[in-house]
Amino acid sequence: MVNVTITVNGQPVAADIDERTLLLEFIRDVAGLTGTHNGCLEARCGCCSVELDGAIVKSCNVLAVQAAGRSVTTIEGLSPQRLHPAEHITTGSLAGMYQPLDMLGADAADLHPVQAAFHKCHALQCGFCTPGMVMALKNYLAENPEPTRDDIRAAIAGNLCRCTGYQHIIDAGMEAAEQLRAQADA
Amino acid sequence: MTQTPHRPAEHTTRPRGRLVGQSVPRKEDLALLTGTARFIDDIKLPGMVYAKILRSEVAHARIRSVEVAAARKMPGVLDVLCGADLVGKVKPWGDMMQDLLVGDHTPFAVDKVLYEGQELAAVAAQTKYQALDALEAIELDLEELPAYVDPEEAIKPDAALIQEGITYEFGDGNIFDRYKLRVGDIEAAEAEAAAVVRQRFSTNRQAGAALDPHGCVASFDSFTRELTVYSSTQSIYMVRDVLADVLQIPRNKVRVIVPEVGAGFGSKAQIFPYEVIASIFSMRLGRPVHLVLGRKEIFQSGTARNSQIRYAELMCDRDGHITGYRDYTVHNCGAMSVWGNQVLHIGTNVGMLPYAIPNIRVDGNIVHTNTAPGGALRGFGIPQFIWVKEQLVDMAAAELGLDPLEMRARNVIRPESFPFRTPMGQVIDSTTVYDCLHKSAAAIGWTETKANPVPYEGLGLAVSMKYTSCRHPSFDTDLSAVRLRLETDGTVTIYSSDVTHGQAHATMLAQIVADGLGVGFEKITLARPDSVTSPFGLGTYASRGAAVLGTACRLATERLREKVLAIAAHVLEANADDLDIGDDRVFVKGLPDSGLYLEILASLAAYRTHQLPPGFEPTMEAIATYDTPTEREGPDGTGNLSVTYSAAAHAARVRVDPGTGLIRVVDYAMAHDTGVVINPLVVEGQHQGGFLMGLGMVLGEDYVYDDEGHLTNASFKDYLAPTSTDVPELTKIYELPAPSLTIPGGQKGAGESGTGPVPAAVGNAVFDATGVRFTSLPITPQQMLLALREKDRRGLATFRYPDDMPGFTGPREPQDWPEPLLPDDMGFDWDNFEDEL
Repeated sequence: MVNVTITVNGQPVAADIDERTLLLEFIRDVAGLTGTHNGCLEARCGCCSVELDGAIVKSCNVLAVQAAGRSVTTIEGLSPQRLHPAEHITTGSLAGMYQPLDMLGADAADLHPVQAAFHKCHALQCGFCTPGMVMALKNYLAENPEPTRDDIRAAIAGNLCRCTGYQHIIDAGMEAAEQLRAQADA
Repeated sequence: MTQTPHRPAEHTTRPRGRLVGQSVPRKEDLALLTGTARFIDDIKLPGMVYAKILRSEVAHARIRSVEVAAARKMPGVLDVLCGADLVGKVKPWGDMMQDLLVGDHTPFAVDKVLYEGQELAAVAAQTKYQALDALEAIELDLEELPAYVDPEEAIKPDAALIQEGITYEFGDGNIFDRYKLRVGDIEAAEAEAAAVVRQRFSTNRQAGAALDPHGCVASFDSFTRELTVYSSTQSIYMVRDVLADVLQIPRNKVRVIVPEVGAGFGSKAQIFPYEVIASIFSMRLGRPVHLVLGRKEIFQSGTARNSQIRYAELMCDRDGHITGYRDYTVHNCGAMSVWGNQVLHIGTNVGMLPYAIPNIRVDGNIVHTNTAPGGALRGFGIPQFIWVKEQLVDMAAAELGLDPLEMRARNVIRPESFPFRTPMGQVIDSTTVYDCLHKSAAAIGWTETKANPVPYEGLGLAVSMKYTSCRHPSFDTDLSAVRLRLETDGTVTIYSSDVTHGQAHATMLAQIVADGLGVGFEKITLARPDSVTSPFGLGTYASRGAAVLGTACRLATERLREKVLAIAAHVLEANADDLDIGDDRVFVKGLPDSGLYLEILASLAAYRTHQLPPGFEPTMEAIATYDTPTEREGPDGTGNLSVTYSAAAHAARVRVDPGTGLIRVVDYAMAHDTGVVINPLVVEGQHQGGFLMGLGMVLGEDYVYDDEGHLTNASFKDYLAPTSTDVPELTKIYELPAPSLTIPGGQKGAGESGTGPVPAAVGNAVFDATGVRFTSLPITPQQMLLALREKDRRGLATFRYPDDMPGFTGPREPQDWPEPLLPDDMGFDWDNFEDEL
């Protein structure tokens, strides 16, 4: 056993772990963040992609001890859940009178531009590959804010998707790039 | 009680107007995008322990002993199970045939190992690592036997039996069932044909390879004796009922709950041994047991597309009209297969479309080999059959000197009136397949390119029609159900047991309910499938969602609407016919700003029952079950198995690099008839995903076995799932809708129609580009290079791969083909069965 501390989405997480523990397992089982998915455990499917000190890695291919003292960003780090006014519960008859603050959850308005683009372009079906795809694209678009469609294809070539045929994911990558450029200009 | 609504600004962003037909953004997305969605591997229950399975590393062997004593003593180990422990304690389950269920599936191999990856033992331990470590302490004594990988070897008269101790009603040796199809008079068609093309084709084994692993968490409560199973399945009741039967416990004591399921493509549409194993561990330990499979295990023991060898013949008159089809099929189901048998029946029946072929004879042998179980996979036998038939169509067109487009245009069904019954028995209630054919050909530039061919570039066409729901030969049912509850705050909960795992049921059903009930889209929620609360339904498969589940939802919505209107009419002292629903309110027609909110009406029905109309049964629930008006397969193999049929016409442009053999699909056009589309963006996504699976099937995905039955590519490292750079831009997608006349809303199935034509369209394009006719799947660059070199060496204009290769050992020409291995009459005069009946 070995004691490691890894900063996950800005929060230090410390634990005594088996030396064999993968970064993926640390994220899922120790930090309790299950948005990073285990699809193959052989660094092929990309469902476990996260950022490690700003670089995209497949977290099944990194030992947790290799990440000790370093900083990891997972899908949960892109759009922190927070308290916000719920709209669905607001009945028509009472809507004008009060704004209940009772729903904990994500909202479309809180999404990272890559996530928002996935939603808009229907770039996910079953959603299992999605966190890895989003992380890979988020990381890539930071490096290349003006990608071509072929650039996007190459950027996600290490991430498998069995549902979408990739078309809408590439659409979403282009849409996100545009939104990110607009944000940067603003 | 009329009120003037005041709506805050955010409410103006809700989808407005009639939602069916709009690309409403999906309800499913937020949890999936932000990582809060819970898949099976994310389920964690108090006291949960972990189980792992020891799988056979050989394909065929007699089991002398499985010694688990040492494993029991390993750190953290709580329990160990092997086959001998369960004999006489759990009931086998099994293969489904016509009216027949064969008990050939057990949680572990007992006497014999039948395929690599079959379960031999399992360990439950405190941690995953402890369970894995303990597996290594299990000692196996196996007597290896020769393995049958090739189904044509397995059916030779001197082949050893794979499945021993099971007597099959129609089987013989490793042939465990037979398929027969008889339409018209095939001998007469052959005698009168102007052209007959004959070719042996074979297909590959493709994995669903859904990225979310198969798995379950089983939790047995020893006080209530209830078994709760969280399972990553497509069908909760199939798992529940079989599991209860296997364990011999009451069905109402088994609860199956489905977390988020990361796709299935048919590969999760049945029960698996791991669900039984985890349940038994939990029952023995009284603790929740987590059992999620690894990728290698899923490749080895999940189900894969059934491979086929078809000795196929297509007959035409001199105008190119198809007059007959005959084949002898060897259908490989692997060592055992719940659904594999049905794949041949349904794929052949529906695969005859979009042609109304008047004379058909198919004889099929359904065969066991020492390979992974066959099963359902997107297309369910249709991609295999279309690969054969649509290449024969091109071959016939060449022989007759016809353009492949013209040949198809002369044959696709284009009846003067609907419904139209084909000789095969399908009832076509509407179709635009003829228009789809021309649309896809035009989009790929068929005529222009044919006039100006480019070296090593080619075009190919293929057309198919796909079932929308299916009355399986072993099931006389094709139903789905929806229960709706209008909650007392005006929101609506939808209960269904048909698992959404990528198909956007939560969105699609909410669109139907929102339109029918006038309730806001954002107020509608789809409850998670749970056998305790969900109405009985068969599950999500066979592209049934939009049409069958959608119809159940429409019927339930109409019933709930009647209840709402009845209460409103009573309260408003109005005639129900004068009322309308919209914007979460019931109002008098013509006065949309007035009215009663749905939450008020629902509250009356629950909390103020005195204000209900006399005799009105309180609460606001409605349930509807829709069973399709389909037919069972007849004794001659004909019948209308599907409620309606969606059409697909595909056109491929491929480019072959003669230096490397690399084949690229550089352009692709898809024209579809999916009837009334509920959510166009979702349906477009289905077609693109369907294409991807077809592309994988034709250009790389396969189970590669060595002669000893070892699966040599049970990893995404070696299994060639297409990546983003393998796929062309998929923008040439066209919907030419012909609303179904049978389904009240006009929908047709979308999920699988994108897959069927892809292998054949690409195969035809490859022939057009190179003159090489590939008769086996997949087509790899290595094979392409070998074929091009051999073709050049012999100076041939056209060439068949692998048939014309020097090393090919199979039958090259029709005179060498095997006779169908069939008993003469099976006690039945198939050619005159009507007289006999």
